Amino acid sequence: MSKQYLTTHTIDNAHITDIFSLAVTPTQILSASGSSSIKIHSTTTPDHPLVQTITGAHKIGCHHLCTSPSGLFAASVGFGGEVRIWQVDTDTGEWSDAGQVTDQNKAGEIWAIALSEDGQYLASTTYDGRVNVWDLPAAEGGKKIREFETKGSFGLSIALSRDGRFTASGHENGGVYVFNNDTGRMLYSLPSLIKPVRTISFSPAGTRLAAAGDARVIGIYDVQHGEQVALLTGHSAWIFSVDWSDTGEYLLSGSFDGKAKVWSIDTRTCVATHSETDKTLWCVKWLPKTGRSEAFATAGANRSISFYREATGG
Amino acid sequence: MDLLEVSEPQTSPRFPLPGRPTRPKDNAPEQEGTGIHATNPNQRQIVISKIEAILESIGNSIVNQEKHMIIKLRTRRKAKPQVTNPSTGVTGSLPDDGMRGIKFPSRNPQEAWKFAAILRILELSHEALTSGVVSTKRDIYYRDPELFVKQAVVDRYVEDIAYTLGVERDALNIVAAAKGLVAGSFIITKLSSTVLDYSTEQEGFLVPNLKEISSLELQNVAWVLVIEKEATFRTLSTQSYHQHSLAGRGVILTAKGYPDISTRQFLSYLHSINPQIPVFGLVDFDPDGLGILSTYKYGSAATAHYETSLAVPAIRWLGVKSVDVSPSAVNGGEDGEEGRAKHEEVGLLRLTPRDRRIARGILGRETFDEGGEWRREVQVMLMLGVKAEIQILSQRGGGLERWLDGRLVEELGM
Repeated sequence: MSKQYLTTHTIDNAHITDIFSLAVTPTQILSASGSSSIKIHSTTTPDHPLVQTITGAHKIGCHHLCTSPSGLFAASVGFGGEVRIWQVDTDTGEWSDAGQVTDQNKAGEIWAIALSEDGQYLASTTYDGRVNVWDLPAAEGGKKIREFETKGSFGLSIALSRDGRFTASGHENGGVYVFNNDTGRMLYSLPSLIKPVRTISFSPAGTRLAAAGDARVIGIYDVQHGEQVALLTGHSAWIFSVDWSDTGEYLLSGSFDGKAKVWSIDTRTCVATHSETDKTLWCVKWLPKTGRSEAFATAGANRSISFYREATGG
Repeated sequence: MDLLEVSEPQTSPRFPLPGRPTRPKDNAPEQEGTGIHATNPNQRQIVISKIEAILESIGNSIVNQEKHMIIKLRTRRKAKPQVTNPSTGVTGSLPDDGMRGIKFPSRNPQEAWKFAAILRILELSHEALTSGVVSTKRDIYYRDPELFVKQAVVDRYVEDIAYTLGVERDALNIVAAAKGLVAGSFIITKLSSTVLDYSTEQEGFLVPNLKEISSLELQNVAWVLVIEKEATFRTLSTQSYHQHSLAGRGVILTAKGYPDISTRQFLSYLHSINPQIPVFGLVDFDPDGLGILSTYKYGSAATAHYETSLAVPAIRWLGVKSVDVSPSAVNGGEDGEEGRAKHEEVGLLRLTPRDRRIARGILGRETFDEGGEWRREVQVMLMLGVKAEIQILSQRGGGLERWLDGRLVEELGM
């Protein structure tokens, strides 16, 4: 069974260069790019107006951006390796600086990041394969509370489960590691995808883990024991981004050749493919479900953010 | 010593070091007739005077029976000012103006040796200026290998002396040994009236010394291509690509990696007399490739004191760029298994920690400004985590030549 998604809106040239990362809250979408600014657009009205520009956030550009699932905090990493924390004013919807993560953070070593549900913890990967966890707030630099070692391969991707129990990291050598945050131990490493794992994500219920990258397939794993439960094939280029829908029924993916795909976890098939651009999609994200139908956003080398909504009543 | 000696055509050192034989005037006369001179006779006289002023002050120290002889040297500006004294290695305190005194005799044997080395270079430069014979840095080293120990010592102090005197190194009549190769449809007439036709030489000629050039005449040249690697240069030159390109005739040039001053000088000269002809760069898709391209375009930190005459800001980056490592470029529009296999085979390499460090440094440079293509390419390189050498273009259908044809024709808007 295939599904239909319609383009509802495109923010053309949202940034002056490639958009590398998107993050969402219930009412907003945040975007980071090769420029020094982070931009925030509202998702509550159909025209998605620009509501805030954080200028000078990262001098030489920003490659990773994430929000806490609560929507109250955001974190961003610049190409210089600096990590900044942002906090939203729930009345005005305006974001402000909430400090930098500096405790035991060597210059330039951090790559991918993830925030816990309430924004209390920040997890990151490093150039030499370590996984670090900080206790926030970051007003005083945060406090590094965990440091997991892996096999030294560049950590390309990281995810925290919503209940905060697990951290998962994906590495350049194809390795995927899952850690128990309570005990501070590695639970297991997953059957390797062999090629770089560029994106990794826990399902909302925390029972499944999706990992993908240069192998062009998406591996779905059972979190508890680490068994592979599905292998989604269909992309013909490197996969840079995957994201679970709110219900965990669908997985969204975006790739090097500009294709976005929606997969049914139930049937393990691709139910929709979008190829509006042939330029790299660096990031794809579901929007928090507001009405009956689900919606997602894509962004990448064409500097625009495109919004899609499920066609209903068809 | 008084300044009257300036006019004296004397080439032997005024202050021979103890135990070092004074070199007789040997090959100077036979070369004098070849017309090799410093570009500006006035400047030459000024530099001679400056060097003699230094020698004179040393002489005065002896005459006045002072405790030390001192050579004052200005240290070149560093890329990172907070790093103290990494390249001169000269001991002693560093005053604010970067001027330091090197004493002889000194309790520090290292300092005494530096004094001797610098004095020797001053003397040889003086000799080169008064005799009118252009010397290379290599020549200087071989005049006294025991003293200098290694080539790098000569290179460093020659630059420091030029900087101290406030002139370009060439004004000392010392040039870098030629490193670059060039081929293309042009003819050079030397000051000695020798005419060289560069289009006939398949292997490429050494980049000529500008001081020996009387005129350079391009023959229907539509483009200039600067190439990072000698191997790629040789591939193109042996196939006479510069004569048979779809984009018309051209000039190809390589400095075998990071460019030396003589290669940059030649390119800069070529461009200055033909500013309408576009200059392109073909480098690896990695941080060093960008560094090399950036050196041609803006200059390097080490020679920042005479950058303006060497930079070619108009140089355009032809490749290898991120688009050349993307699936669409590699697959040529094909999808499916075959296309995937091709993307696998193109020889992409993973970035090393060193690559990432250099890339971060490059992104921090002012010249890699926001919204610019170069900055975007470095960021994408870091995002992809891969690099690629020029050679990957040879593995495409049609090879390097067809890739170049396509890209040059596109850039020239033909």
